[in-house]
Amino acid sequence: MRNPLITFLVFLVTLIILAVVIADYMSTRPGRRPPNPFAYDVDEFRLLSEDLLRWRETGQIRLDTTPAAMAYGEGNIFLAAGRELQVIDMQGRRILRKQLPSTPTAIALTGNGMITLALGNYLVLLDYEGNITDESPAVDNGRFTSVAGSNGYIFVADAARRRVLIFNDLLEISDEFAGESGVSDIHGFILPDSHFSLAINPENELWITNPGLHKLQNYTFEGRLRSYIQRRSFDINGFSGCCNPVHFAFLPGGEFVTSEKGIIRVKVVSESGELVSVVAPSDKFERGTRAPAVAADESGNVLLLDFDKNMVRIFEPV
Amino acid sequence: MERKKTKNRREFIRSSMRFGMVLALGGVGGLAFRNAAAGKSVWQIDPFKCTWCGRCATHCVLNPSAVKCVHAYEMCGYCDLCGGYLKVGHSDRSTAAENQLCPTAAINRKFIEEPYYEYVINEDLCIGCGKCAEGCTAFGNGSMFLQIKHDICVDCNECSIARVCPSDAIKRINGPDPYLMKGDFSEPA
Repeated sequence: MRNPLITFLVFLVTLIILAVVIADYMSTRPGRRPPNPFAYDVDEFRLLSEDLLRWRETGQIRLDTTPAAMAYGEGNIFLAAGRELQVIDMQGRRILRKQLPSTPTAIALTGNGMITLALGNYLVLLDYEGNITDESPAVDNGRFTSVAGSNGYIFVADAARRRVLIFNDLLEISDEFAGESGVSDIHGFILPDSHFSLAINPENELWITNPGLHKLQNYTFEGRLRSYIQRRSFDINGFSGCCNPVHFAFLPGGEFVTSEKGIIRVKVVSESGELVSVVAPSDKFERGTRAPAVAADESGNVLLLDFDKNMVRIFEPV
Repeated sequence: MERKKTKNRREFIRSSMRFGMVLALGGVGGLAFRNAAAGKSVWQIDPFKCTWCGRCATHCVLNPSAVKCVHAYEMCGYCDLCGGYLKVGHSDRSTAAENQLCPTAAINRKFIEEPYYEYVINEDLCIGCGKCAEGCTAFGNGSMFLQIKHDICVDCNECSIARVCPSDAIKRINGPDPYLMKGDFSEPA
């Protein structure tokens, strides 16, 4: 290395190699990479106007069992969780815990002091002590996902067969309907996945989701389509995706509380379908989790059953 | 009375070396057998880790990329308002170019029967950008997702996409079963 030219060349080559290594490192390390030229920002749908946020979370009740369904009544929360019926009060104190013969999929208070539980493809009736008083026969290939009852009728959403079954007070199937009205441009229940929900409002009207069409439909107790609301939109004002809303309940005033999957959010929608407010925006939930089941108490507070956090979350209007 | 045989240091070292060599040979043989039994491994994307960052389209050594959108039809809702096909702010639900989310119009929308539509990926046009997968996952069942197609992939020793993948979604998997199809192992939506 006595020749200064060789020394200089070695030094230069070393410098060039170092520069290339550093440039490569700087250009590919996280945070310094070029922006995604194909970026599709769905986060704009998670953002909300402050005016719409008129609810605040005021309570959380942790559950020790993975929940499947929830109903509210008589000042208490009725839960189908694990293979149990659990009743807890609004402070989270456990009132009742009863083992069930199999895993429940839906629950409702169906009047006359009775709890109706769907256990996959059959129903059981229980009193408020948790004693089974009656049981329906199983429906072949059925998957019951929602139950509601009134005037001696029990309505059951069967997601596997895309039908609503009507049980009488002897727990026999008295009728069933698939949502067709007989009019050529109106279709039956379109269920792209297993979410299929129904409920009865304070005016004793039966409402059923038609999630593939982004509709909430009102049927008579005989299964005739009476009316519907439909809002299809990617933005907050409507329902989008393959199947929304997935769960719903009624506020005491008759407005809908709807729960959506995909971009998870819980909204209040008027009886004519307009967005009223947002109970829980998507930032209240982990991404990629399940949409919560919903219920409302007589004071107008909204209860969300968060399946991933194993808790009941209580929201009150501001 | 027979005298007990004693080992000197040299014999001890020699037998230890023999034992060590047999052990090493056995280890190498075992590893070789395991690799031979496991077959060739290939690069693949875990669709549950993928964040649709766009680097599959820009960092593959091939152009267009060996990463393509695949569609799990058993998970698809066959929706009219498809979050993977329609651009936000679309003027109507039609096949017009201005309504499509895909930058290369690689998804064919086909009417099945009211209200069902089928979405078929044209692999020749797909560049693996993942926009459709992101839209489908955000709004729908997530039936569209990205996979490395092994009839196209040249199986680099170090996958240039894996090197820059921000979510470590690309890993080597067993060659005889080279795809991680969502419908096979997904949880209920």
